[in-house]
Amino acid sequence: MVRVTTLLEAHVVTEGDWIGAAEICQLCRIDFNAVQELADLGVLEPRHSGGAWQVPAVALPRLRIVGALMHDLGLNASGAALALDLLETQRALERRIRELEHLTQGH
Amino acid sequence: MEYRDYYKILGVERGVSADALKGAYRRLARKFHPDVSKEANAEARFKEVQEAYEVLKDPEKRAAYDQLGADWKSGEQFRPPPDWGSGYEFSGGPRRSGRDRGAQRAGNGGQAEFSQADFSDFFSSLFGGGSPFGGAGYAEGSGRPARDHHARVDIELEEAFRGATRTLELRRPEAGADGRVELRNHTVRVTIPPGVTEGQLIRLAGQGAPAAGGGAAGDLYLEAHILPNPRFALDGRDVTLTLPLAPWEAALGASVTVPTLGGVVQMQIPAGSQAGQKLRLRGRGLPGQPPGDEYVQLKIVLPPANTAEARAAYEDLRSKLSFNPRADLGV
Repeated sequence: MVRVTTLLEAHVVTEGDWIGAAEICQLCRIDFNAVQELADLGVLEPRHSGGAWQVPAVALPRLRIVGALMHDLGLNASGAALALDLLETQRALERRIRELEHLTQGH
Repeated sequence: MEYRDYYKILGVERGVSADALKGAYRRLARKFHPDVSKEANAEARFKEVQEAYEVLKDPEKRAAYDQLGADWKSGEQFRPPPDWGSGYEFSGGPRRSGRDRGAQRAGNGGQAEFSQADFSDFFSSLFGGGSPFGGAGYAEGSGRPARDHHARVDIELEEAFRGATRTLELRRPEAGADGRVELRNHTVRVTIPPGVTEGQLIRLAGQGAPAAGGGAAGDLYLEAHILPNPRFALDGRDVTLTLPLAPWEAALGASVTVPTLGGVVQMQIPAGSQAGQKLRLRGRGLPGQPPGDEYVQLKIVLPPANTAEARAAYEDLRSKLSFNPRADLGV
């Protein structure tokens, strides 16, 4: 059997890329009400383009985590947004600890 | 294949109520959720828990599973009985939840989100596609192969600097000549440009699952995860290197060779430098607009006083320098 390999050029998502709300809902397993609630909570800053909601594509990783927490742990949007904030704070502190350990222990 | 004791996985008795089952699932999902957990093998445990709950939360699946009997032990060799699934009326079309469809896997360092495709052979043979519970193909109007447009791809820091290629195995639902939809494997080779940073998204147009209601395929997003590097710490596009210096290099100044992502450079250490001080090599971080910088954090390493000459040199310093490192403490 012939194995076909498709060569693809990756597009790195930047601040200038936007995703439609329907696609965000599908990608992150959240409904549109949750997207609106997350916007109210400041987790994302949507824009209205041609009557449709759009969300910055760079917000996708955060929204994916929020969606996973809501879907898998039964959290509501506020709880998932709070958990996301705390997780990000925790990761930043862990990164800082690693840097300081790197400095004190050296390589 | 090996038998899986779903009740044991969820830590519940066989007669557990639906509410208690849900509670047990929530507790374990919270404990092992890969976005939250620091537990060892969290991802594998989370998949196990999801698989167990997927079966036990559904009354029909749970009843069928219970009919296998309570004498099986986890890990015991198992084959589905020949009359498996008979006697159950399945409501609606193919019994797949939105989360279960259109699985895609990303190989060679990529890691897809969990889906039914990640469940065990035990699950697949009893409840997966082709089983009486799984349905065969996607019936028209029964729903679309949703989600699984997202995967993680691990990248070494050096690859983030120079660019990388990854071969991914994607499983996509496709309609055959007879109109039935099947999962088919596709191999794609992706060129990732230099300058990708931690958490940055890479979009592969048209490589995701079809949009709701059919139509063109959606996009596939890869989330870049830069693997920890033993030498450089990454923050955005900036990297930080801890540079060991001899005491006289810090005190007197020196020209030293410093590693960067693009190769070694010579760097001038100013006289009177102190440990912990950060010097900047502009534009020596990850490429981009603008490129990142490399920060060189100084660390002073003392030579061991393990020879007579070394001890004499330290004694000489002590006698000649009137130096109190604890002056700030007032002692």
